Amino acid sequence: MATAIPVEIEGLNHWFEEAGSSKQVLRDIHLQVKAGEIVILTGPSGSGKTTLLTMVGGLRAAQDGSLRLFGEELRGASKQQLTQLRRQVGFIFQAHNLMPYLSALQNVRLGLEVAPSWLKQGRRAMDARCRERLSQVGLGHRVDFMPAKLSGGQKQRVAIARALASNPQLLLADEPTAALDKESGRDVVALFRELADSRGAAIVMVTHDNKVLDIADRIVHLEGGALA
Amino acid sequence: MSWKPRTPVAWLQLSHKPMRLLAAIAGVGFANVLVFFQMGLSGALYDSQKRPIQQINGQLVLVPRRYSNFGEPLTMPRAQLARALGVEGVRAVTPLYIGKIDWINQNTRQQKQALLFGVSPDNPALKLPELQQQRSLLERPNSVLFDRGSKKSAGPVVQTLASGRPYDTELRGQRAQVVGLFQLGLTFAADINLISSTANFQTYLPETNNDDIQIGVIQLNPGVSATRVQATLQSFLEPSVQVLTIPQLTDREMEHWRKNSSFGLIFNLGVLVGLAVGAIIVYQILYSDVGDHLGEYATMKAMGYSDGFVVGIILQESLILASVAFLPSVLVSMGLYQILVRSTGLLLTMTLNRAGLVFALTLVICGASGWLATGKLRRLDPAEVF
Repeated sequence: MATAIPVEIEGLNHWFEEAGSSKQVLRDIHLQVKAGEIVILTGPSGSGKTTLLTMVGGLRAAQDGSLRLFGEELRGASKQQLTQLRRQVGFIFQAHNLMPYLSALQNVRLGLEVAPSWLKQGRRAMDARCRERLSQVGLGHRVDFMPAKLSGGQKQRVAIARALASNPQLLLADEPTAALDKESGRDVVALFRELADSRGAAIVMVTHDNKVLDIADRIVHLEGGALA
Repeated sequence: MSWKPRTPVAWLQLSHKPMRLLAAIAGVGFANVLVFFQMGLSGALYDSQKRPIQQINGQLVLVPRRYSNFGEPLTMPRAQLARALGVEGVRAVTPLYIGKIDWINQNTRQQKQALLFGVSPDNPALKLPELQQQRSLLERPNSVLFDRGSKKSAGPVVQTLASGRPYDTELRGQRAQVVGLFQLGLTFAADINLISSTANFQTYLPETNNDDIQIGVIQLNPGVSATRVQATLQSFLEPSVQVLTIPQLTDREMEHWRKNSSFGLIFNLGVLVGLAVGAIIVYQILYSDVGDHLGEYATMKAMGYSDGFVVGIILQESLILASVAFLPSVLVSMGLYQILVRSTGLLLTMTLNRAGLVFALTLVICGASGWLATGKLRRLDPAEVF
């Protein structure tokens, strides 16, 4: 796996069915993201950024062209195959999407429990990892807090800790700093940089936040479903 | 081995809102109690039909071929019963006369229907201990014994006897005196049970012939096989009569009430209503739960949890609700049974079988509603979280 290129996209087209007619949202995309690389995806709303991100994350099957994740072809992939692939991807959503009935630690642990290898190591090992990740996002003193007791920025940081919990080799983030103040936003992207440099993770991030553009290895602009 | 370290998501989600959980448990519990109530009542009503049969003082009975139930007695020649005496293993035979007769409440002049049993005082066909104890009373002319379990509308019979006086009334226009009591319990056949000697039976129901009996009770010597004697008897008695063991007679009675009364239907409908209430409550709770947390479930799917895992959370929740609600509903039902036993005299009991059946039914019903509630979840596209 380590040698396989995290993301390889060739001639990817995608259409949405809308009221009987199909609307093309992605046109002939070619994109490669190597290990240790941070790619920032920009573009106006409706340009297909989110669609591309969800396809790279295995949330949608590719219809036309080629999309390989760690060397595995996703075009026409089965539901089970996509589910398996998602476990190797860390997601950070625009909304934090934390489970309101789970504490910060339990939310992060949910990100580990999806992997059988972590489950095998037991609750204690998982909790240690979760605490470590929460400390890294500056929430070491909030591990047992319920989401309702955390601020918006803190919730987003818990979501980031959850995405990073199992050291994914591919991290996808949709406006991860939108809900954060300037300083925590910088902290988060610094963490991304470190993840890319020290662990060789590939990171694809959609953002409009000019303050964080400088951490990217590459900035890719999407316009009307095509790469500019 | 992998379940232990896993976060109990279903339980944490349910218990996150304790008031809602409590309401859910109360709802499912209420449905269970409804089911227990219906089952208890129907069971008790059916069981009470067996009471006279359980008191038959013998191992075999002779009944007419077309016999269907206790409350609709048919006649057969007494001579048939006498012939049974010659069979090896038969110790004695004794007739049980059964007839319906009008009873007058002396206070209200209200007319009620009574079931009158005629037994021979020296060998009563019913093994009620009161018959042995009050043999001399039973033998008095124009006298009857009265069932304590009879409807209150029969009149203040028990109170009158308790004060040391007999209760005077009339049966079929003839003077009759209640001189003693016994405890049997009512059936659907009548509101009042009476027992008299065979001689008195003839007095009150003169149109019945002494030579025509309703049920012939056959008493066997100890250790004799009832089924063998039954076969022997059936082989030489006329085909217009049949020989039944007590369990067979009981089955015949139950069969009759199952087929010819709407009780079964009514109570089964009651059970269905109870189950439907439970199903609707669980569905409602879990459906709104799915709707409220759709984004979170989509997130779990996006994280790599399978559809089965996510649907499993809802199913677990439904089974947790069913299980947690069960014990309290058994306790409440037992209390309810006690109240009904006191007020109606019906024998309602919580049997292990019934509890097991209701538990199995709630699990199935709750599981099914849980599954239905996950429809949206199964179709949920994880890409929707973005």
